[in-house]
This record gives sequence, structure tokens and C-alpha cells, in this order.
Amino acid sequence: MHIVDGALSSPVVIAGAVATAGGIAMGLRTLTLERIPTAGVLSAAFFVASLIHVPIGPSSVHLILNGLAGLLLGWAAFPALFVGLVLQAVFFGFGGLTVLGVNTFNIAMPAVLTGIIFGRLIASGSVVRGAVWAGIGGAFAIAATAGFVGLSLALTGEEYLPAVGFVFFAHIPVMVVEGILTAFAVLLVRQAKPELFAPGGVRP
Amino acid sequence: MRALLLLVFLSLISSSVHAHRVLASVFPSGGAIEGEIGFSNGKMAVGETVIITGPDGGVLGEVITDEEGFFVFTPTEPVAHTFHADLGAGHVARVTMSAEEVARVIGVGAATPTPTPGATAQGATSQPLEVDALPLPGCGSSEAQRALIAEIVRDELRPLRREITALREHHGLQSILGGIGYILGIFGVGFYVAARRRFNA
Repeated sequence: MHIVDGALSSPVVIAGAVATAGGIAMGLRTLTLERIPTAGVLSAAFFVASLIHVPIGPSSVHLILNGLAGLLLGWAAFPALFVGLVLQAVFFGFGGLTVLGVNTFNIAMPAVLTGIIFGRLIASGSVVRGAVWAGIGGAFAIAATAGFVGLSLALTGEEYLPAVGFVFFAHIPVMVVEGILTAFAVLLVRQAKPELFAPGGVRP
Repeated sequence: MRALLLLVFLSLISSSVHAHRVLASVFPSGGAIEGEIGFSNGKMAVGETVIITGPDGGVLGEVITDEEGFFVFTPTEPVAHTFHADLGAGHVARVTMSAEEVARVIGVGAATPTPTPGATAQGATSQPLEVDALPLPGCGSSEAQRALIAEIVRDELRPLRREITALREHHGLQSILGGIGYILGIFGVGFYVAARRRFNA
């Protein structure tokens, strides 16, 4: 899911960096005192979840948890996921520092979209129905991330086009796992600590 | 309870903890260039097409990696060789061997041969391994004997090289805990700044 250094053309890298800077600015504005611990915990969860690799074909995929981050944080998912990505790049060489902007955008933008699209749907129905929507949201976030990664590669050059399809299909199992995970997490949060949801996102 | 179940489920699917960077290296091997392509999780790139291009972008040749991710290419032109393999999903292996090194492999030109790590076969005088000094039965050092020794040394070094690579890519629990510590620290600072701002307001 992390695009490595040197794989993308400069315009794509720069566009990603600019978009991410905007997203982080938006996120920091919504990140109030009360929301900082939530953002920190989700950042740490993302940092660790990305280390759990499931080998598929010549590559491997890993959990991202960006759907959950988007539902709980809204725009604040940008700074939270950015911190996780910076540390992954520095400690483990996931992705790289130059493609940090693109990687953050590819992962955090679907998170924000999930929060916007599914947040209301989750809040509208019963707890169980909300969990189902959350599951769909979790899967959607992964699908969107795979789509964004594919788009970044496709924008870079024709030679990556076969990789685009692969990226998407390799993430179908992750979508399922993340969907289930997000559904249960939202179910748990709504029963135990409903105030955790982002303002502007879910209102149970 | 559900959280516990999730944790168990997570630990079940977490078969391994590692990154998947592409690792590629080329080194002189007698009159040929030998290379190795794989992922940092120890998996080798099997049956991948490696395209070799010159400095001008012209294709010099094409080889396919074997079941151990190895490939051998015999260069014919003393120019810089770029080995390129697309492993899918944005994983691209690209490694270049300089013109001097290629020239030394071919055995032409190369006015100033400098010893390179990994080079074992050519230019015995400038190599760390003094082939002539080895006590060989039948004395002397014919090309065949040199090639044989080079072959043995390569075979001996191969597992070692792989182990070093694996070690370099190893992520200990310490780094993971360290990362979580950094996250706590960064958000702690954020918390401090936000709290101060509110306190002042």
C-alpha cells in the first residue's frame, strides 16, 4: 500500500505533498484538546496495524485501519495518519520520505471520505445497522486507498498499468478483514463510549 | 470480549512482521554479471523478466530470474548497464553497474581497475583475494582454476549475503515500541500546546 521512493514522477509527488499539507491544516484545525488523545491512539493503532503483513502473491498487504480513523477523527485523520507514516518511513523504510505526501493523501483522504459518507449512515439507524454500515465503510476506505494508489501509479506512467489492477485485487481480502474489524470497533465504541466519534462525523 | 476475540484473530493472521522493500544487487561473476532480486521479506523474485538497458536507454538484453531470484547476463558492450525489473504493485527493481565494472567483466578496456566488493574473478593483481598465492595442487593458476575458486567463494558467500540483508531488514520489537513511544510523545506535545493555548485564552 505504501508507494516506495522513486516509483512516482515528480508532478505526482508534488501534488500529493500539497494535498497532504492542506489536509493536515484542515485536520489540525479540528483537532481540539479533547480529540488529541483519540488521534494519538489511532495513530499508534495505524502504526502497529501496518506492520502486520499478510503475504499475497509476490507482495504482501497489511491492515490500514484508515476507515476507523476517518469515522472517529474526520479531517484529524490527516495529522494522525501522517505521524504514523513518518515514523514507519523512518523506522522501517515503508514508503519513503519523498513520497510521504502521496502516501498520506492516499491513506488519509479515503479516511476522511469514509467519515463524511458513512458517518451519518452509521448514526441514523440502530446500533447493529450502524455496525453494518461501518463495515461497509471500512471496506470502502481500503478500496478507495487501493484506487488512489493505482491512480498515483497510473498517472506516473504506462508501465505501471498492469500493477494498478493487481493493487486492487490484492486488497480484496484486506477489505473484508478491515470491514469486519471496523464494524466491531464501531459497535464497541457506540456501546461503550459514543462521545468518541468525530464532531461532524457520527452523532449517535 | 469482542475486543479480545479481535486481538486473537489479528494475531492469527499476522504470520509475519516485516516490510516488503525490493532488494536488487548485481556483481561481477567471471565473464558475466550476476544479479539477485528479491523482497526484503526473504521472498525472491522468481521468473521475473529483467530488462537490461544501456545509458542511452537502448535495450541490451533480457534475462529471466531463476527460482532463487538469480540471473546471469553476459555483457558485450563496455557501457553502463541498468537492470530493471517490474515486480508489480509499484515494486520496481533498478540497479546499475558502471561502465568500468562492465568493461572489467568483459575484459576489455578498463584502464584503471579498482577493486570492487563482490568482484572475485577478474584482475587478480588488484583483488583482495590473491588467487595465485593459494596452494593449489598442480600449481599455477589457470583460468579454469580461478573460475572454480571464484565459483566456490560465491557459493560460500551467498547465504552470508542473504543473512546480512535479512538482518538489515529486521524490525525488532524495540523499534515498534520506540515508534509507539514517539507517537505518544508527539501527541503529548500537541496536547501540551493545545492545553496552554486554552489556559491562556
